[in-house]
Amino acid sequence: MTAKIEARGIFKVFETPSEPVQALRAVDLSAQPGEFVALVGESGCGKTTLLRILAGLVLPTQGEVWIDGTPLRGPSQHIGMVFQRPVLLPWRTAAENVLLPAQVRGLPLAEASLDARSLLESMGLGDFLDRFPRHLSGGMQQRVAIARALLLQPSILLMDEPFGALDAITREQMHLDLLNVWSARRPTLLFVTHDIAEAVFLADRVVLLSPRPGTVRQVFQVPLRRPRLPDHRFSGEFAAACRDVKHAMQGNGRGQG
Amino acid sequence: MKTGQAPELVTPLAIPRPTVAAARRIPRPGKEIVLSCLLLLLLIMGWEIIVRLRGIPPLIVPAPTVVWESLLTHTRSGFLIRHLGVTLAEILLGFAAGGLFGIGLGMGVALSPLLRGVLHPYVIASQAMPKLALAPIFVMWFGFGLLPKVIITALIAFFPLFENTVTGLNEVDRDARELFRALGASPWQTLRWLRLPNAAPYIVAGLRVAMVLSIVGAVVAEYVGANRGLGALIISSQGMLDTPLMFAVFVVLLVLGVVLYQVVVLLERACLARRYRA
Repeated sequence: MTAKIEARGIFKVFETPSEPVQALRAVDLSAQPGEFVALVGESGCGKTTLLRILAGLVLPTQGEVWIDGTPLRGPSQHIGMVFQRPVLLPWRTAAENVLLPAQVRGLPLAEASLDARSLLESMGLGDFLDRFPRHLSGGMQQRVAIARALLLQPSILLMDEPFGALDAITREQMHLDLLNVWSARRPTLLFVTHDIAEAVFLADRVVLLSPRPGTVRQVFQVPLRRPRLPDHRFSGEFAAACRDVKHAMQGNGRGQG
Repeated sequence: MKTGQAPELVTPLAIPRPTVAAARRIPRPGKEIVLSCLLLLLLIMGWEIIVRLRGIPPLIVPAPTVVWESLLTHTRSGFLIRHLGVTLAEILLGFAAGGLFGIGLGMGVALSPLLRGVLHPYVIASQAMPKLALAPIFVMWFGFGLLPKVIITALIAFFPLFENTVTGLNEVDRDARELFRALGASPWQTLRWLRLPNAAPYIVAGLRVAMVLSIVGAVVAEYVGANRGLGALIISSQGMLDTPLMFAVFVVLLVLGVVLYQVVVLLERACLARRYRA
């Protein structure tokens, strides 16, 4: 089976006025169709840069990204992206925000509107279709952003610390909702986070990146069954999986508890 | 007046709302309005009383009743209305011409770095130059009619709109740009769905400033070589030592200014309020 998305030998060097900074070094990464992969690392390990390279937003200095065996040459319709902030257009309602990708791709809007509507409804925002972002909570805004990323039914969904700004309770609810959406549509999902528990709870595989320059340090298979349930967080397996990742992260001599 | 100010009704993406915005929100009609009216009444009465008690001659400061009389007389005769019409025409024509040109050039500069680089020094220089200082030469070139005043007014109205258009189109949230790139949007689509909507409140705020400046521009341009218009009337009432008429013109200008400003504000609300109000 060819990988859905594969990065081979990715190097990224940023030129700065003083000296070039190596952000990524020899990163190899791949995800199978429908797989949920979490990218974990301390801040500054280049995980956001890696995600942007996978999204076709940034060119790697060296190496290549392949989607379904075809080299990636820029932003693709098959890739949906969710950013750290919701990045909603404040002058558009929730439904209009979700519709944006269809407008940009010049798709028939009547159909897309129905899709946008049902997506928002499936995320529990059925009553908020015509609300403006300023009238939505942070969690709701990020749901709208997820719906927007899913509108064109991308086979790959990239998420860059999407829940980092949310409070713990909202975040746990978002985890369950995301898992629901993901299992219903089964995109290949790459999820960047610095929260080990979040990565373990959500993902099939956790890829640990080490910082400066960012490189893949270790890959963990998560032993938890699906569907993931809130109580999994209190299981011994869950704690053990988290501990393994944590120890590996600290093993690089830089981390601390 | 600062032209780069951020607009009143908006939260543009990622641009911090200035704190003045809250203070400038118009209060709900109610107690404040009543008190405001009372204060006005009090001020006018005080003015009347002081003028009468101290026997100040109308040539220096006419009492409100005298001003009112002059206002009525000259309004009935159609005299004030005629001059008002001339000034209003200058204001609106100049405002429209300067505004369109400002928005147009602003878009050009915002969209083309080359154009921006080439034109930037000229724009700064033209702003630093007091446009009213040019009035005498325009009179020599274009005569005493409407045209030189319209040109001056347009020059004055140009800058706030130019500046705000450039700012509004360029000060777009970085993440939103990234989103549009990730969606594969063309520059035209990014302009249409991101940069222009982002700029709309800035442009409207520019309209508000430009309107106020246009009034100043037209009236002061009339000081220099005009035989019609409210500015010309002020100069000629000075010559005729008719101070009550001059004050009557002030009243007309005051009302004109408030009305025109409110028209722009209402327009702004009608166009933007639902989508941009915080």
